Amino acid sequence: MNKPTDSSELAKLLQEINKNMVVLGMKLDRIITIQESLKKILAPKKKPSYERLPLDVATLLSLPDHLRKTALALSELGEATATQISEKTGRVRAAESDYLNQLVTKGYVSKKRRGHDVYFYIEAK
Amino acid sequence: MGKAIAVHSYKGGTGKTSISANLAALYASNGRNVCLLDYDFRAPSIHVLFKTKINNTLNGYLEERCEITDALHDLSGKYRTKGRLHVGFADPSTEAMREMMTKDRKWEMRALHRTLAAKNTLYSKVEADFLIFDTSPGVSYSSINALASSDFVILVSKLDEFDIEGTKELVHGIYESLGRKTGLLLNRIPTEQFPMGAGQKELEQSMTKIFNLPFLGIIPCYCDIQANGGRHLFAVEQPKHPFSQALLEVIGRVEQHLDAA
Repeated sequence: MNKPTDSSELAKLLQEINKNMVVLGMKLDRIITIQESLKKILAPKKKPSYERLPLDVATLLSLPDHLRKTALALSELGEATATQISEKTGRVRAAESDYLNQLVTKGYVSKKRRGHDVYFYIEAK
Repeated sequence: MGKAIAVHSYKGGTGKTSISANLAALYASNGRNVCLLDYDFRAPSIHVLFKTKINNTLNGYLEERCEITDALHDLSGKYRTKGRLHVGFADPSTEAMREMMTKDRKWEMRALHRTLAAKNTLYSKVEADFLIFDTSPGVSYSSINALASSDFVILVSKLDEFDIEGTKELVHGIYESLGRKTGLLLNRIPTEQFPMGAGQKELEQSMTKIFNLPFLGIIPCYCDIQANGGRHLFAVEQPKHPFSQALLEVIGRVEQHLDAA
């Protein structure tokens, strides 16, 4: 920076600095806004917490037909893979897997992995 | 593998208990191993008919206090049946009935699983050919648990309008939802309403049309059954009685449907 030679030059310089400060302030505001948005986007999503619901006959009767058939088969088997359920219902494994996972999402059924297989079960306690 | 049959109705007083107990006795007399299970926890009554000392009850089994085999009473000797006649009683004490009223949904869910598990135990350990559930009328947890655990439902109805309308609702709301095979049995038909000759076929056709269910039979209201049905097991004590004979025909029709399934 050159040394100011007179007062008018100094005033001009101060004006320039002031202008730059305003631009800088605006840029900082923008950075803060973006940072907050990023925080929201990048924050780990909370898994929806479902209360474990009893799969009693009242629930069974309220389920749509396709899920009821799967839930009834699982109630009879106690614990089963999608393949075992499909053998009982006579429907394809992929459909049963989908229905079982829908029952898991709804909170009626739990699942656990044992080796390569996923077992679905109804928590009785 | 055995088969489970539930005897159910929309209203009380249709004769479910007499039908369940006598069906069980007939099956056992014909050399089949049977377990008769009183699932009417609101108003247990089978113990009155069998008059035996009750040790463990089905309440105890559902409460996880005993095994299902501990809750059975072998009455084959008493009735000299060819097959084994095991009976599981519901606890008739007021305290037990009150206790059952307080159960929550989680308990009822476990009761359903215990009932389903009992089936397998009774087929394997007791070599039961048939399980017969006597249920409470209408929609109650215990009766629906029994229906959900059965392969076939004998739906008993009288011929009055209240019964017919409610029974239609049960068929659509419960049995069809549970996917249970069901047959309709008309019971306690007053003599003056009992159709004769071709009238029976007409009644059968109209009932089949109304309910869209297979027809299992029509049994008149017998005064002696009314008066003594709670004390005597007609199927073994009076096998020639028309009531016993009518139930034999019902068994034939039920077995046809079970075989077809």
